[in-house]
Amino acid sequence: MALVRFSNIGLRYSTGAEVLHDINFELEAGSFHFLTGPSGAGKTSLMKLLYVGQKPTRGTISMLGRELATVPRKALPELRRQIGVVFQDFRLLNHLSAFDNVALPLRVGGLSEKDIKKNVTELLGWVGLGEKMASRPPTLSGGEQQRIAIARAIINRPKLLLADEPTGNIDESIGIKLLTLFEELNKHGTTVVIATHNETLVKRFPHAQMHLENGMLDVRPKKQMKAA
Amino acid sequence: MSRKHFKKYTYDISLDEGVGAQLVSWVTGLMVFFATLTLALNFGLSTVAKTWITSLSGTLTVEIKPPLSPTDGEKVSPLVEKKFDDSVKNVLAFLKTDADVSKSRQLPESEIKSLIEPWLGQGTEQDEALNAIPLPALIDIKLAPNADVAKLKSSIEAIEPGATIDRQNDTLGNVKMLVNTATLFMMLLTGVIVALAVVTISGIVRSKMLIHQSEVETLHLIGASDEYIARQFRRHTLRGTLRGALIGVSCTIITLLAISTVTHTIGSDLFTHLKLMPMQWATLLVLPILSGSLIAHLTAQATVLKELAKLP
Repeated sequence: MALVRFSNIGLRYSTGAEVLHDINFELEAGSFHFLTGPSGAGKTSLMKLLYVGQKPTRGTISMLGRELATVPRKALPELRRQIGVVFQDFRLLNHLSAFDNVALPLRVGGLSEKDIKKNVTELLGWVGLGEKMASRPPTLSGGEQQRIAIARAIINRPKLLLADEPTGNIDESIGIKLLTLFEELNKHGTTVVIATHNETLVKRFPHAQMHLENGMLDVRPKKQMKAA
Repeated sequence: MSRKHFKKYTYDISLDEGVGAQLVSWVTGLMVFFATLTLALNFGLSTVAKTWITSLSGTLTVEIKPPLSPTDGEKVSPLVEKKFDDSVKNVLAFLKTDADVSKSRQLPESEIKSLIEPWLGQGTEQDEALNAIPLPALIDIKLAPNADVAKLKSSIEAIEPGATIDRQNDTLGNVKMLVNTATLFMMLLTGVIVALAVVTISGIVRSKMLIHQSEVETLHLIGASDEYIARQFRRHTLRGTLRGALIGVSCTIITLLAISTVTHTIGSDLFTHLKLMPMQWATLLVLPILSGSLIAHLTAQATVLKELAKLP
């Protein structure tokens, strides 16, 4: 069953030209996709549509078994809580500690403080930030901030994990470790989409690829990738 | 791990930081100050009006004109004077027995003179003029409850046809009109202050949302409901409003005490009656804080929800 289905999606900002044209694809539950393409191809716009941060200008999106156009506004937060996002600029809240940043999705979901403490402590330990729980993001390195962003994205055990250029500001060895972490999550059933323009990484991890160019999408399955 | 890791923070959005974080306190403080002062003046005025109306309603004044000398410099004949005195005595005797009258009293000459004095001024010449004026007989009547005023009036006129009976209706009407106009004006003023407060708080909340747009969007995207985000702004605005309201009310009390001290120094009769009852003091202390908080709460809620509705 498709976890995400895009049918004839078009997107334009305000009165400008269309940045995405006739996008059609399906993401099966438990799949792993790279979203590639040159800068300005529309990767971030497609990611925005995937994390319900933008409405398409035309077409229909079906997400987690529900057609988005028919989902009432009040039900959207719950849907978003099933999608974990690692933003390109991390979007961490600088006045909050690492602990509180990671705890946010649980707090907005109404989990008890006792459970929040247990889950966040465990996860921050797992990403190697057990000793930096009280630190605020501006006092941490780029890599540490990224791990907080990842921890925040996965704390809710999302069904769909999206990462926008997660390896953009880090060296290759850390990038490989990060992709291995995403693969680990994927093995546990999380559907993963990673937007990147890092060709080396894409070649090293032979997953299905969605290639965007001039707002048009070309989906290349895993097998085809291997053949290429 | 130390306890500070789990220290409860106030807001997910850094509302206490940045330019204008305390703006809502100052603005609401000023609004509450003006609104409370208006309310205090309204209370004071209604107390004064009540005193005036109580003293005027349920009373009558009977005036029996004095006999006038036929020519200047001549004294009134003793016979005429006796007739005047008898008329006054007859009216007073009737009033003592009439069921419509609960109390009656003839104003002594000194009291009548003190009523005329302000019109003539003070000084030897004025004193001489005052002594030369033939003074009427004035009888104050306190009416019994449900008194038949028309019957009483005709009975007095039957005893002394020249008597003038003043029911104070004109004065009472003027006082009531003055009070009603002043109350209406103050209500209008309070309405303007409330409207201004709503517009200002809404503006502050909107600009705060703009300053913290990135944080608001992040919360929105990780699955915070509109109500969850609105609660942050509501709590922040409420705290600021409460702080501002307390400052505003305190400033009003200081101002009222200062006015009270100054007016006691002046010794004005008007301001002697301008006193507030304990219940009015309590209302002055509680109402602006409660209504200010409610206005802030509702305004912040409505503004944030309206702005959030623009997000996908």
